[in-house]
Amino acid sequence: MSGGPYNYSYIFKYIIIGDMGVGKSCLLHQFTEKKFMADCPHTIGVEFGTRIIDVCGQKIKLQIWDTAGQERFRAVTRSYYRGAAGALMVYDITRRSTYNHLSSWLTDTRNLTNPSTVIFLIGNKCDLEAQRDVTYEEASKFAEENGLMFVEASAKTGDNVEEAFLETAKKIYQSIQDGRLDLNAAESGVQHKPSTPGRNNLSSDNQGSKDNCSC
Amino acid sequence: MPMCVLNLQRSYKYMMYATKQPSLRINQADLKCKNGCGFYGNADWNGYCSKCYRDHLGFEKQKKQGQAQLEKQKSNAFTKFEEKKKHQSDKKSKFLPLFRKPSNLKELEKPHRNSDLKHSNPDADKLMAEFMLTFGQLSESLRHDFFKYIQVFIKRIQTDINMNKPIEDVTEVAQKYYNTFNNGLNTSSTFKDLPSDVRDQLLDFFEKYVMTILFSSLFCPNSTNDEEKDLIIQERIRKLSWVNAHHLDCCISETSIEVRDLVYTAITDLLGMDSVKAPLDKLNCVVKCCRSVMEVLQHCQGGPASADEFLPALIFVVLKANPARLKSNILYVTRFCNDSRLMQGEAGYYFTNLCCAVSFIENLTAKSLNMAEEEFDAYMSGQITCVSAWESALVACEGMHQLRENLNILKDLSQRTTIVQEGSKMLREDIEKFKNELNETVSVVMERTPLVIKPRKSPISLNPHHEQSGGATDVSLRKHDFDQSEPENLNFYHQNLEIGHLNDYTKENLQLDITPCTLIAENASTISVEPTPEDHSHNSFGLSKINYDIDFSDFSGENSMVEDLTPERISLNVTPDPFGPLGTSSAIFQEPLVPLNTSLNVQEKTDSAKSKQQYVLPLVEKLETTLLDEDETDIQNLPSPMKPMSSYSGFSKQGLQIPSIPCNTGDISYLNAHSNASTSSKDDS
Repeated sequence: MSGGPYNYSYIFKYIIIGDMGVGKSCLLHQFTEKKFMADCPHTIGVEFGTRIIDVCGQKIKLQIWDTAGQERFRAVTRSYYRGAAGALMVYDITRRSTYNHLSSWLTDTRNLTNPSTVIFLIGNKCDLEAQRDVTYEEASKFAEENGLMFVEASAKTGDNVEEAFLETAKKIYQSIQDGRLDLNAAESGVQHKPSTPGRNNLSSDNQGSKDNCSC
Repeated sequence: MPMCVLNLQRSYKYMMYATKQPSLRINQADLKCKNGCGFYGNADWNGYCSKCYRDHLGFEKQKKQGQAQLEKQKSNAFTKFEEKKKHQSDKKSKFLPLFRKPSNLKELEKPHRNSDLKHSNPDADKLMAEFMLTFGQLSESLRHDFFKYIQVFIKRIQTDINMNKPIEDVTEVAQKYYNTFNNGLNTSSTFKDLPSDVRDQLLDFFEKYVMTILFSSLFCPNSTNDEEKDLIIQERIRKLSWVNAHHLDCCISETSIEVRDLVYTAITDLLGMDSVKAPLDKLNCVVKCCRSVMEVLQHCQGGPASADEFLPALIFVVLKANPARLKSNILYVTRFCNDSRLMQGEAGYYFTNLCCAVSFIENLTAKSLNMAEEEFDAYMSGQITCVSAWESALVACEGMHQLRENLNILKDLSQRTTIVQEGSKMLREDIEKFKNELNETVSVVMERTPLVIKPRKSPISLNPHHEQSGGATDVSLRKHDFDQSEPENLNFYHQNLEIGHLNDYTKENLQLDITPCTLIAENASTISVEPTPEDHSHNSFGLSKINYDIDFSDFSGENSMVEDLTPERISLNVTPDPFGPLGTSSAIFQEPLVPLNTSLNVQEKTDSAKSKQQYVLPLVEKLETTLLDEDETDIQNLPSPMKPMSSYSGFSKQGLQIPSIPCNTGDISYLNAHSNASTSSKDDS
């Protein structure tokens, strides 16, 4: 890979959605900083974070948009759905109402993103097993019915947080490799590494990585 | 960090921030270019207005280039961002020959890419539609010229981007093109005849078009560290979330609902800045936000707000909004918005204020908030956490929102319930209506065919066929029935005939008498009166018959039944005939007694065939048979008619009581078993 600060081949755009207080910002913080942020202030509008990850030998920069859960800012946050390659839909396993709202979040996501957008369902706060209000089985059934990937995670302990973000990236990367995701399409949510000298060089890079890729 | 502060302080040399702590109060003069040219300056232009900044930049660049070559030789280790940037520009200038080949390649691809960009970008279509809407009336040649300018501009900028030119250079090119186009508008033969406001619109649209197309390359470009700056300020604002209006010495009352709503409007406007693409649109968002802030202040103070109060309020809004990619947006606007728009007017003023607010947030210390250093540090490190009124209001807002949402759901549910209730009510009405209709129809049918009941009555004759005859009212039918029943009853007929042979006269009488008897039986059954009253009547009349008085009374009475009954009674009396000669004699006695002309008339009308029916009445026979003993007593008392009436009446009373019992029992039990009785009677005979 070429040196310098831009050592990544792709930029994937993610959004994190879900009801207020389910821990979206904490998940993002856990993923980008590997720390749990207690007393996280409420997100107004959107905030964002980035991290460079490695998927199948490719360096990928994740640009993650953390949206506000409040209905009041729905108008603002809606404009961020456009051009998201991955959507992390979060609910709180200790509050059933946040689970019940998933269908409306899913509708929004399906309406505002493109069909190739990977949607990942995350049941957050799985460290609070004692207060569980939504069973793993029903959530996983919901995910299965709607063709979502699903995992229960904890932003506090960091359980499954990495996995959720990485699995989503892997899926998006597969879509690119399969040609299901058109990089040239506007709003694909994926940007190819900019200013890489030599296109041929890059494509051979891709070729190599494809061979190496275990997935 | 100290380095950064130093840099910033240096860059704000001519602004208040440089000489003092960041302050909430700024003078109008502080917003202007530090060169004193009279235009609005900007923190990102080091306090210059755009024009002076570029002059300054050109000078700096020349200096830097000289320095950089020296540095390059000295060391390759560059860690600071500033240095990296310099390094880049150096790299570009230094290795330009090496890069020529790839860049040539890119140029070959470029036309293809350009067309790609235009075709695949939905924004371009939208813009085209907007252009046609706004400038559709303009001539073809003008449109052609306009898009030629645009094509040239886009091509040029894209070349620069592909060559990895530093963003400052691209900015310069862009601004130069804006100027060129503006000049073209004013001087070119195609444009100069247009009214000035249309020319202004065209200039703005030119900017909007090219910037929207080039947005992805020019916004937060990869060659800069804009994104890192965004993250830094985002984190900074998040850490400052405890700051409230009081800290900022700002009159916004956080508890008032109206104020909160207005602040939210301002926040939403500011957040909208990141959602639009053209610099002018972003600028418009800032203007809208600032107007909302003005409104908030007016609301809080009950009067027009001064510029002094404006900045703290704006800082508050920026702190609470924590707009996404704040720095990138500000930089994008300062770089690519037409300078002439940014340097003057309302938009320029507000935008400059926003830049001031951002730099205040970046640099604020305990002092600038008028609080103790320790307290500030404790807040910043998260040791002290306080739930501000704002925060709790936000939560309350969400609570309220959920409440409203639930209320809406309830409302919806109740609406649906009423619909269901109405539906059920309608259904009930329908059922009622249907029921009534059905009843009506039934009653109509009943009225029309009341005979349905009659035929049911008729089948009194023991033959089940009668029931089948249904509504048949025809006498013929009845006759037929009677005929059918004939074989069964034939025996009795013959019996009676035989009895009749004993005395022809009796026989004749018998025939006459018997016919009405059967009729009565029929009538009785049709009335569906149980045999009991019939029997009573039999008995009473029959016995009373003996009393001539009663007969006469009957005669006088309208009741023809009495007459009918009389012969029946006679027949009753006659039937016992076979048992003894006395019976016949009694029959003879009665004959003349029957009041009888009238009854005879009736009897005459009846068919002789009908007379057969009388034989149907084996019950009568049976009755008599059971009554044999009594009959005997009667017979013994036969001479009684000779006696005075009074004595007879007393007797009749006796008779009334005695036969009533067997009659009842006989009727019911013998109805079915009449054949047995008949046989027995036969035997007896």
